[in-house]
Amino acid sequence: MRKLRENPLLLSAVIAIVALVASFWLLNNPRSTLPFLLTLGALLAALLQPIPRWLKVLIGGAILFLVIPAAGFKNSFLFELGIQTGIYAAMALGLNVVVGLAGLLDLGYAAFFAVGAYTWAIFGSPQANEFMPWKIFPLPGEYFYLFMLVAVVVAAITGVVIGSPALRLKGDYLAIVTLGLGEVVRVLANNLDQPINFTNGPQGITPIQRPPIDWFIALLDRFGLHLSRAEAYPLFFYLLVLVIIGIVTLVNVRLDRSRFGRAWIAIREDETAARAMGIPLFPTKLIAFATGASFSGAMGALFAAKQLYVSPESFTLIQSIMILVMVILGGMGSIPGAILGAATVTILNVDLLKSASDYLNDLRNAGFVLDLGFFKYNFANLPNQLEPAKYERMVFGLIMILMMIYRPEGIIPERRHVLEMKKEEA
Amino acid sequence: MSEAPILEVERVTKTFGGLVAVNDVSVSIPRGMIFAVIGPNGAGKTTFFNLLTGIYKPDQGRILFDGEEITGKDPAWIAARGMARTFQNIRLFGSMTAVENVMVARHVHTKTSYADALLHTPRYHREEKKALERSMELLEYMQLGHRAHELAKNLPYGEQRRLEIARALALEPKLLLLDEPAAGMNPQETEDLQRRIVGIRDDLGVTILLIEHDMQLVMSISERIAVLDYGSKILEGTPEEVQNDPRVIEAYLGRGAAEGAS
Amino acid sequence: MLEILIQLLPSVLLEGLILGFVYAMIALGYTMVYGVLELINFAHSEIFMAGAVAGAETFILLKGAIANPFLLLALAILIGGAVAAIVAILVERLAYRPLRKRGTTNRLVPLITAIGVSFFLQDLVRLIEGLWHNAFYRRYPSFAVFEATYNLPNWIGVLTIALTVWLGFWVLAYFGDWLIRLFAKKPRATGRTLSLVAAGLTLVFLFLYRHVVFADLGMTIQMKSILVIVVSLAMLYGLNWLVHKTKLGIAIRAVAQDAQTASLMGIDPDVIVSRTFLIGGFLGGVAGVLFGLLYTLVHPYVGFIPGIKAFTAAVLGGIGNITGAAVGGLVLGMLEMLGGTYLTFLTNGAMGTEYKDILAFMILIFILLFRPQGIIGQQLGEKV
Repeated sequence: MRKLRENPLLLSAVIAIVALVASFWLLNNPRSTLPFLLTLGALLAALLQPIPRWLKVLIGGAILFLVIPAAGFKNSFLFELGIQTGIYAAMALGLNVVVGLAGLLDLGYAAFFAVGAYTWAIFGSPQANEFMPWKIFPLPGEYFYLFMLVAVVVAAITGVVIGSPALRLKGDYLAIVTLGLGEVVRVLANNLDQPINFTNGPQGITPIQRPPIDWFIALLDRFGLHLSRAEAYPLFFYLLVLVIIGIVTLVNVRLDRSRFGRAWIAIREDETAARAMGIPLFPTKLIAFATGASFSGAMGALFAAKQLYVSPESFTLIQSIMILVMVILGGMGSIPGAILGAATVTILNVDLLKSASDYLNDLRNAGFVLDLGFFKYNFANLPNQLEPAKYERMVFGLIMILMMIYRPEGIIPERRHVLEMKKEEA
Repeated sequence: MSEAPILEVERVTKTFGGLVAVNDVSVSIPRGMIFAVIGPNGAGKTTFFNLLTGIYKPDQGRILFDGEEITGKDPAWIAARGMARTFQNIRLFGSMTAVENVMVARHVHTKTSYADALLHTPRYHREEKKALERSMELLEYMQLGHRAHELAKNLPYGEQRRLEIARALALEPKLLLLDEPAAGMNPQETEDLQRRIVGIRDDLGVTILLIEHDMQLVMSISERIAVLDYGSKILEGTPEEVQNDPRVIEAYLGRGAAEGAS
Repeated sequence: MLEILIQLLPSVLLEGLILGFVYAMIALGYTMVYGVLELINFAHSEIFMAGAVAGAETFILLKGAIANPFLLLALAILIGGAVAAIVAILVERLAYRPLRKRGTTNRLVPLITAIGVSFFLQDLVRLIEGLWHNAFYRRYPSFAVFEATYNLPNWIGVLTIALTVWLGFWVLAYFGDWLIRLFAKKPRATGRTLSLVAAGLTLVFLFLYRHVVFADLGMTIQMKSILVIVVSLAMLYGLNWLVHKTKLGIAIRAVAQDAQTASLMGIDPDVIVSRTFLIGGFLGGVAGVLFGLLYTLVHPYVGFIPGIKAFTAAVLGGIGNITGAAVGGLVLGMLEMLGGTYLTFLTNGAMGTEYKDILAFMILIFILLFRPQGIIGQQLGEKV
């Protein structure tokens, strides 16, 4: 392996070939999990390994903008997967600022997602008519873009509100308080249908407007791609998510390389020393918290517009923990790590576990008998409680434990960019 | 220099539960002096530092820094006003490089706003460049320039100590508190440190307040020394006065030793 | 309206007290582990759950073999506690100890591990139950003798009302005095003065509402509630004896205060930590069985909310402080019952039962911000 690393030409060739093979395999078998994983692997290898920049852009761009969409047209599940991954990736990047950079354990991160989602859900659907005087709702779909910004602001404000009590506390207590406050938000979403109906309680809000894409369909027409609205929306949201991840990554990188990023890492490493060096603890933590919250809020609004339906069910503790697992798995403080973690966990959750469930079900239905001589098991007897898809907590828990014991820095540990930056300048 | 003293500590007391860690201590340090605080282990010296830097709030008494009351204020606020420190157990930011450690301390002097950082405005570039240059200067000054991009946790012990000082200097302090800077150093390193401390005072005009156990160092460079024992100040004076005072010897070595000496 | 509230008060407080004992027992696990490790054992809620589920299985399995319900209960408690204790020790040995040996100063790592363990255990129990019974909700069988209801003499109710009202007036008097002192220069009223003032006001109150207070309050208690109180008190008494009168107890307190010095005195901190988890786990398991006895339904996720509430109780009483955990549990139980019942009442059902759970969080935040050392606890500072 090391030989490969040291020879960039060989490495580039290998990655390029793998990318090509994987892409063709995927395009011919769009419903298969294995070629999809290989393609993703090629994408990641291309982006993270030391190959020339033009090649990174070429392979990355081709896979993201050509291969996956093309496969997606044959299997729209891939778009769904891509969008989900993207939403979680952006949230993981947000939580990365809070947990990874500043070292603040936030267990209620889904609350900001909820706030952002409900912000658009309420005003982009007839819901708002319940408590607003003029019956002008739902707002037309174009307002979605504006409301993404509104969601950012609302989520940031929520971050300040939640952070103000919570961030004064020590690490352990911060964790539990954020957990509690996350639950409070969920309970409020579930119960604020009385006395005034803000959130429509456990029933959720639907239908929610989504941005009109006639201009997008027309654009695609010009390129010879004729899609119906139903076909075009997944592609639209997929591309929108990619754009947003790009923006979020840029924001993350810029903050990381500023005095804020340094201050956050200092706080994470040693609060007392950070204070002694003039870093005001509480305001700095609050900024990290609000920043993380705003990413989540933006994605919440997008989620609402894509799903067309929100309910308190989507914003539980499991979501918060899931994103935490993404950051831990990928690497705390590491930007590529957060994205990798998001991709891994989403695919695990949405694809792999479900496939395992289906596989076991097939075995059961076929009455398959496993005969190892000393051990015989008839899969027809497999209790139907045993569905891997339902055991995400076990998987998450195991990932957290194993990562902390064996590789706390994550799969892609944080690397100090200044090192690279300055080496270039030198 | 006939200005007001840089630091005035008036009858400061700090109690933890039943234990009086610092007992009615007063001290006045003029600008530009090298002042040492000595005493046996557990005498309350580091607690005293922590009171000055704001980590603890005194139960009684006042602290004035450069004429301004700083009693019980937030440590970051005090640091921003120009009081920097190093720690007895080195507290560097291990997973950051040496230059980054120093740049962290430039936080107060870097005028980049949140918007500037996001948009990479000309101000961002200007301030980053300034911070980097100043940090490199300080590293060079402490002879660590060649280590700028090493992770702080990978540096040898002596260099870590120097890095801590470079980092503290990045605050552009008027007063520098050094907590046992010579701990774990061999005689050669201690001599270098000696010259460095005096250099910092002479070149940068920084007043130095020093906790140290190495008597050779203390007696060589201090202009005035305060002796603490069980939280109280038992003596303050010039090195000659302190060296020969039986009370000091008793504090360090016990009553018998004092009688033997005189 | 106020009359109904007064009438409800003793029953509500009694229910709260019973619930509070369960919280207290769980809280002890949190506080003891925090005392020796300065770690919030997030997984403790699942240790509680393990006890609850083990107790359920014991009841269900042995129901045919053993006729006497009290004997069944005793067995369930023993087995539930034992299972929980074993789980606790395993968790410490496999998940927490490797991290302690590494000596990392990063506070996040043990915390995240604890959360991971918590989640893992939830689904592990679900897996076991799923494989074994193809269901993961288990019910505690009910016994007529446990459900039997007994009437309580009225004077208990009267006394409860009187004490609560007196306490309320005492607090009011305190604030009244503080208000007056904002405007007029006067020395602070002593505790005795406040007590007397409150007592006087209480008597007036009792007189005005005598038709409610001295009427038939209809206080009842079920056998199972009595059992909960008896078992809890026995456990608390046993723990107190253990902590104050045995060598192990002294060792635990020593390690909690200063592990390094304790080891210099010949105490092996690892062994003590293990034993602490064992004791805390056992108590948590017993609490689980009692919970099952009271509320019948248990499942792998039943530990989450009581766990957080019990933690709140531990903080309320002063984290690291054993008496505090017990007191905190009782207080929280009563506050929760009070808040839950009265809120629903006062808002005509607009604020539903879920708000009861938030109440605990609110109390937690309040305490952590304004009195982090809790009702009883001491201040823990950081050595720089």
